[in-house]
Amino acid sequence: MVVLVSISLAVITLDYRQGQSGPLAGLGRTARAGMAPLQEAVTTVTRPIGNFFSGLAHLPSLADENQRLKDDLAASKAQNETTAFVQQQYKDLLDLLGLQQSLDPKAVPAVVIANGVSNFEWTVTIDKGSADGITANMPVVAGTALSPLLVGIVVATTEHSADVQLMLDRSWSAAAVLGSSREAGEVRGQGDADLRMSLVTPGTEITGNEAVFTLAYQASGRPGLYPTGLLIGQVSRTVPSDNSIEEFVDVRPAVDFATLQFVLVLQTSTGNEAP
Amino acid sequence: MLRRVLTVAVVIITALLLQSTIFAQIKLLGVRPELLYLVTIVIAILEGPQEGAIVGFAGGMMQDFLLNQPKGITALTLTLLGYAIGMARQYIVSPSPLLPTFLVGVGTAAGIAFYEIVAFLLGQLDEPLGYSVKVILLTAIYNAVLTPIFYPLLRRMFEGSRPQRVVRF
Repeated sequence: MVVLVSISLAVITLDYRQGQSGPLAGLGRTARAGMAPLQEAVTTVTRPIGNFFSGLAHLPSLADENQRLKDDLAASKAQNETTAFVQQQYKDLLDLLGLQQSLDPKAVPAVVIANGVSNFEWTVTIDKGSADGITANMPVVAGTALSPLLVGIVVATTEHSADVQLMLDRSWSAAAVLGSSREAGEVRGQGDADLRMSLVTPGTEITGNEAVFTLAYQASGRPGLYPTGLLIGQVSRTVPSDNSIEEFVDVRPAVDFATLQFVLVLQTSTGNEAP
Repeated sequence: MLRRVLTVAVVIITALLLQSTIFAQIKLLGVRPELLYLVTIVIAILEGPQEGAIVGFAGGMMQDFLLNQPKGITALTLTLLGYAIGMARQYIVSPSPLLPTFLVGVGTAAGIAFYEIVAFLLGQLDEPLGYSVKVILLTAIYNAVLTPIFYPLLRRMFEGSRPQRVVRF
């Protein structure tokens, strides 16, 4: 017992000091690489079972959800009429400015094969890794490359799998901008609760369901890792602030993480070699 | 001995696979069970403090390697938990079939609380107190509910892997 406790303490100390560059981190990558194929196999078999129970849990809200989706669909159809034209204009302008590489990067499709094992980390594992050109700090989105919804960011890779930190995670943050009022701020993960946007100027007129997009700015001392324009979510409520310096806004993620199966990893230039 | 080691390895890997796949979708009010806590406690009940500590250490270390935070915290937690439950079991004389469920519930709550404190002291836990308490309570309840399913399975597996005494004439 004493030996095992001593080893545990030694491992904590070593790993804490060495971070992602030590031999223990290498062992971790090996363990994850070994588990990934097993997780993929189990997920393939058990996903229908999980979806069944997940559906049962959401049964009371399905009728309301159905009505809301019908309304959304009608609104989307109307909006789509103008979107194609606007998108073409938008693309032409991007080409003209030579910014396509940063705003519309090449994307690698991947399948979510597992979730994190802890109640204190919001991560998923995907079935593509460094062999597919994926490195740490690459943004991960759902939907399509033309209308991407932000999911999170790659935090660790093995040859054939990668760990993605979801934007729900409390250590996740990004610079963001409100779609209509154009007010910029910083969005942070809040666990299972809605995201929290801070640094919003007091008195800003925020409309309900206002969309929130990423900005390629630096946030919390980290370099801007996300291209501008990825949809984070919609404003769910404004939070009264105790000070007159900033306001807070809660943002409901656009992605439904409970049913997330397919993602795209954007191969931006901000990605770097996995540690 | 080899059969014993293989049994432990299979149980730990299966627990981690279930926790990261199917039980990640079947949450209790947003919280998933901690199957390695359950496994460690059940084995400590069945096999005693030494075996509980060893299985806890091995399982905890394996789980740590799948997390993106300093390795060793779960291993330390489960080593102490396995040993403590194994020791406590020696002093509890109760024929109640609910005893394992009770021990799993209490042990899980104590283990998660210990984990949170160590992670917090190392600056690795940034959760509000309300969420931390919610995870302690709901994980304990979830693990306790799962005990009647997993306890007989684990007992059968570990009894089957015990070295057989050979009598020679």
